[in-house]
Amino acid sequence: MTGMYASVRKYWSLTSVNFSNQLAYAAETVSRGFFILVILFIFVQLWSAVFTSQGSTEIAGLTLSETLWYFLLVEVLEIGRSKHDMTIAEEVKSGTIAYALVRPYNYLGYHFAYSAGETIPKLLLLAGMGLPLILFYAGLPPTTIISAVAALIAVSLALLLNFLIYSIIGLAAFVVEEVGPLRMIYQKLVFVLGGLLLPLDFLPSWLYNIAILLPFQLTTYAPAKLLVDFSWNHFGLTLTLQALWLTIFAVLLRLQYGSAVKRLEVNGG
Amino acid sequence: MAIPGSFAAVEVCGIKKTFQVKQKTAGLRSSFSSLVTPTVRSVEAVRGVDFSLPTGEILAFIGPNGAGKSTMIKILTGILHPSVGTATVLGITPWKDRKKLAYQIGTVFGQKPQLHYHLPAGDTFKLFSKMYELDADQYKNRRGFLVEALELQDFLKTPVRKLSLGQRMKCEIAASLLHDPKIIFLDEPTIGLDVVAKQQIRTAIQTLHEELNTTIFLTSHDAGDIESLCRRAIIINHGSVIFDDKIEVLRKKFLQHKVLTARFSSPLESVFAMAGVAVADQTSYALTVEFDTNVVASELVVKNIFDFATCSDITISDPSLEETIHEIYTEKGNEL
Repeated sequence: MTGMYASVRKYWSLTSVNFSNQLAYAAETVSRGFFILVILFIFVQLWSAVFTSQGSTEIAGLTLSETLWYFLLVEVLEIGRSKHDMTIAEEVKSGTIAYALVRPYNYLGYHFAYSAGETIPKLLLLAGMGLPLILFYAGLPPTTIISAVAALIAVSLALLLNFLIYSIIGLAAFVVEEVGPLRMIYQKLVFVLGGLLLPLDFLPSWLYNIAILLPFQLTTYAPAKLLVDFSWNHFGLTLTLQALWLTIFAVLLRLQYGSAVKRLEVNGG
Repeated sequence: MAIPGSFAAVEVCGIKKTFQVKQKTAGLRSSFSSLVTPTVRSVEAVRGVDFSLPTGEILAFIGPNGAGKSTMIKILTGILHPSVGTATVLGITPWKDRKKLAYQIGTVFGQKPQLHYHLPAGDTFKLFSKMYELDADQYKNRRGFLVEALELQDFLKTPVRKLSLGQRMKCEIAASLLHDPKIIFLDEPTIGLDVVAKQQIRTAIQTLHEELNTTIFLTSHDAGDIESLCRRAIIINHGSVIFDDKIEVLRKKFLQHKVLTARFSSPLESVFAMAGVAVADQTSYALTVEFDTNVVASELVVKNIFDFATCSDITISDPSLEETIHEIYTEKGNEL
């Protein structure tokens, strides 16, 4: 058995074990899924009213149908994101993280593989539940094969970016003990500057120009916008920015994790 | 069984570990001043420990809370770096080659479960087989053996959250042995268990040791664990080894103290008195005395009691190991 193959099998088994965990709580997972229906229904009513009152078919270049499909994807991404930051923070506070050092795997690799087992089925479930609703109100998606593929690539990178950012928030428990406020601040930034409240196109242009460069929109707005209103320019910009911020957060996480391990080796957690 | 002079599974030499602990006196004012200039105090958790554990032996590492047991086990598994000293586990320096060592040792931390709470233990076993890169046949055999030896058949498919503590601990131990480690570290395996469950775990450890001849390093603050499992014990207190020898030696060295209880067929008329013997309790039909065998021989005490009144029953007992260890802690504690 080659080392590489064994490693893949190792982390894949983590993904599949957490996948079975999700099945053990199928009812809870599905009931959380209903939450997205409520939110989407509110958005449908809200934006239909907004477009009607504006009396135009487009706002900042987006039609009502595009706007609704946009919200389906950003809500799926936000509600379905991995919650591994809470687990990490818990492990830091309880000191359990020290014991992970004597297990034959990489701690962050473990959480990546494990959270994938939760995130992927959850995203699919949420998308599956929201889809009929949006299809009913917004009609067929304004999507081509190219925009679907582009969005899928951007979604994959968005998930990776989310993993890095939330790992950093979780590990921050070493310094601040209680990471709740930190997570809250980050989520509010994503809410406003990441396009959860409004598609960024609806913001004043000076704010749009700032927000588009920041990492917040890369996990939500960017893939959703590519899905409903594809342009090669935006695709190129998204990939470049995602690569850039992935590198930055990967380096930060590496440094942070390194100093955490040092701390454990000296203090034992 | 360990052959004298054979390869030692664990070798520890002059290990010291000092922690820096932030100090804060009570009050708001000092809270602010400690933000600016924190006062740091050094705490010596382990103060120069040496010992060697031959392959195939069970060693109990005992001491009260805060004695340095967990610090020691963390050093030996590679989590903590010691401040001074050297140690090898299976020829590897734990803190330098932690990952390599991880494949060769098993660990059970009584207070930090490794089984997945919501899944049956069987699922976690499978996961562990992948983690430790076992091939399918190897895993099947090993699992079969452990399930039988530890009698896990009945609850292997039950989610761990529904198991009793004792069943859970048995599964924890099985999980830590799946990859056939040469040595296992059990940190407080019986903590929080009731008497029956404790006994089950002890029997399980005993069986595994007999069948597999795995080297076992066990920490506990429960004297019962040591009494039923080990032939050798190390007692640690305030970070130093205060005893390292066979259990019998522990008894002999510290157990000159005897307790004698006698029952009589007719009521006692006078108070029992004898030089070097203390009367702990005397009623009309019963008498309890304590004495030191270095001062007065047991035969003599027994003879005097027979002369004293008509005896119907007599018992001489050693204090329990628990009491002995307690005595050692307090005695040595006072000396330090």
